[in-house]
Parts: sequence; structure tokens; C-alpha cells
Amino acid sequence: MTERKRLLRTIVLLAFVLFVFAALVYSRIMAYSLAPTMKPADFHGLAVWYVPIAYLVDYFSHGWICLLFAFVVAGLVYEFIPKEAVTKYMSGNRVTGYGLALATAPFLTVCSCTMVPLFAGVLYSGAGIGPAIAFLLIAPAANILAILLTGEILSWELAGIRIVASVVVALVAGIVISKTPWGKSIEREHQATAKSRVATVELVKPPTDERLWAAFKFGGYLAKRILPYFILGLVAVSYVEAYLPEDLVGNYLTGVSGVLIASVIGGPLYTPTLVEIVLGRGLWDLGMSKGALLAWLMGQPYDVANALAVSRIVRWEVVLNYMVIAWAGSVTFGLVYGVLSGSL
Amino acid sequence: MSLERNVRVEVIGVNPPCPRCEATWKNVENAVLTVKLEGIEATVNKLDIMSKDVIQEYGAVVSPVVVVDGKIRIMGRVPDSNEIVKLLREIAK
Repeated sequence: MTERKRLLRTIVLLAFVLFVFAALVYSRIMAYSLAPTMKPADFHGLAVWYVPIAYLVDYFSHGWICLLFAFVVAGLVYEFIPKEAVTKYMSGNRVTGYGLALATAPFLTVCSCTMVPLFAGVLYSGAGIGPAIAFLLIAPAANILAILLTGEILSWELAGIRIVASVVVALVAGIVISKTPWGKSIEREHQATAKSRVATVELVKPPTDERLWAAFKFGGYLAKRILPYFILGLVAVSYVEAYLPEDLVGNYLTGVSGVLIASVIGGPLYTPTLVEIVLGRGLWDLGMSKGALLAWLMGQPYDVANALAVSRIVRWEVVLNYMVIAWAGSVTFGLVYGVLSGSL
Repeated sequence: MSLERNVRVEVIGVNPPCPRCEATWKNVENAVLTVKLEGIEATVNKLDIMSKDVIQEYGAVVSPVVVVDGKIRIMGRVPDSNEIVKLLREIAK
């Protein structure tokens, strides 16, 4: 390809990025809602088969900006983050290990299939079990897609608190587990002989237009993997909103017991596909308290599929241990946030 | 100079393979077939990103990774086969 053609392609692709950003800013100025706007009352009198259609049409007519933005940004961030620099320091000492685990999780974990391998990478390359666990627990809450969609679909206040709470829980779990006998024995077992990688890294840098294109392709790949589940989630939410009696949610998903119940059902329902965010929105509309909503969102670190993958690398004691800590954390933060925000 | 040298290529990915690792693997294999016609021999190995030995050697990495002649050349993205062909030609020169 000639230089001029490349330049042209770069300009066209950048124009698209600009358009996506502009669309989001425009929606802000015009005060569109990018979240589902139908309320339970709107569903009265709709035919059974028409409920999900009405909900999906309503959501996508304004929500597409939010989704487009989220996937484009996730693709760009993932493509342009200097992965070689980040991973190089992951095997450093303990403090940089914790710091990096927490700071890089948002950018490296948009693709769910990188999470467990990086956990193994951090553990085996000498940073120890603490940072590895911290990385694993922060990842689902802090990945850039989850942050953007929590902010847009639920609220930015909740997105912020979700991150802070997850950081605290991840750090506590990492530190506690690294002090337990089973944590220590795993660390001894994986004591690194080489402190950093032996192989040299000389990454090929493709031209900008190709990198931009690769970023969009990755965004599209993420969308293809996530959107089908996301849409199924929306269908489920439409039925929940249409048929689940509000008293039921109001009775069971509020107060202290609401936090407890939400934290328990949030876990098994978690799929790394952001469904928990739309489902949370549906239950919130029906009267779930904010405290319970936070506990619901934070329940994911102990989802079963992930735990199984992790238990192949470390012992099940460790898995059980971090599940208990993650659960206790979600209940604690749910209660505290519920009291502070006056919505328990 | 003869082109008899054998280029070593490693693809590091997740096992069972994720779609992106699979795509990388296919593109690398295609590239190897292409350069074979030009007289460049290359062998490809699949490595498991979770294996302890791989991590000791290459550190914590983001999959998929392509290693050519012992050097990490591509990390965390799917290269197309033209790019790999170029890399292989460069090495075999």
C-alpha cells in the first residue's frame, strides 16, 4: 500500500473514532438516556411475545450510542496499551506487583480468556500469590467495558463505588491469602528461578492505519461475543420487569436481608458478558435497594466457571478462601453503601 | 548464503484455544506454507500460556503471542499472515 493510501485510511478511521466520541457528547448535551427507559408500568397490556420486542426496540433506539462507544473504546485501549511494558514489570517485587495488578486489570482483561492466563503468569513469574489473587478479583469489576456500561446503564456513582470496593476487597483478599499456610506453600512451590523473562522482546509495530483497523476488529470481536448474551439478558429483564411483582422485589431485595440475598444470587448468575448490569437495572427499577444492587454487582468474583479454572492452578483452599472474602466484602460494602446512600 | 536455515516459530496461546489464538495459529501456518515455496523452512510449535516453563521463559504475557527465533515479536493481537511472511523473510535473509 502506498503512503498516501495509508494516510487516507488513517484519516477515515480517526474520523470514525471522532464521530463515536461526538455522538456520546451530543447525547450528553441533549440529555438522552443511554439506559433502558421503559418502566414496569409501561408493560401493562402488552402481549407476551411483544414484551421483549418493545423493550429491545426501546433500548436500542437510544442505547446504541453507549454500546458503540463502549466497544470502540475497549478495542482502542486494548490495541494501544503497551502490553510488553506492562507485562514486563508484572513479575517484579510485591509492591509493584499489587500496584500493577490493580492498575492494569482494566486494560488487559476486556477479553475474558486473558484473565486466568494472566493470573497464572503473575503467580509463576515470581510476583507471588497475593498480587495474582488481587488481579483476579479486580478484573471483572474493573474492565473498561464493565465500567462504561455500569456507568451508563446504572449510574456513575455506582460505577465509582464498585471500583473502589473491588480494589479494597481484592487487596484484602490478596494480602490475607498470602499469609495463610496454603497460600505460603503455593508461593514456595512456584518460587521463580528467573526473576524476569529470559526471552527478548522485539515487538513489530504495524503502521497506524492497521493498528486502528485492528482495534475496531477487536471491538467487533468483543461485541460478537458479548452482545448475544447481552440481548438475551435484556429479554430476561423485560419479562422480569413486566411480570415480577414489585412487592416481591421490594420485600426481599431491600434491607439487610436484601443485601445478603443479592450477594448470593449475584455470583452464580455472573457471566463475563455484562448481563449482571442489565439484570441489576431491571431489579433496581422494581425496587431493589442501592445497597443490594452493589452487593449484586460485586458478587461476581466467586462465579463458578472462573473458580474451576483457577482451582486447576492453585489449591481449592485458596479458591474457597477468596470466595469467602469476596462474598464478605460484597455484603460489607453493600450494607455500608446502603446506609450511606439512604437506600438499604 | 543458503536458505537452508530452519526458522523456529512459537505460538503461545490459551489451551483450550480461544478464537483469537486459533486465528493466530492459522495465519502463522499459512505464512509458513507461503515461505516454504521460497525455500524458507520454518517449524511451528504451539505453547500453552499457562504452563510454568513457558512463563519462566517468556514471562507473563497477553495471549496470543508469536515468537520468532526466540524473540517475542507479537503480543496480544492477531497478526495477518502477510505480516508473519514478512517476519520470516527478514529472519531467513
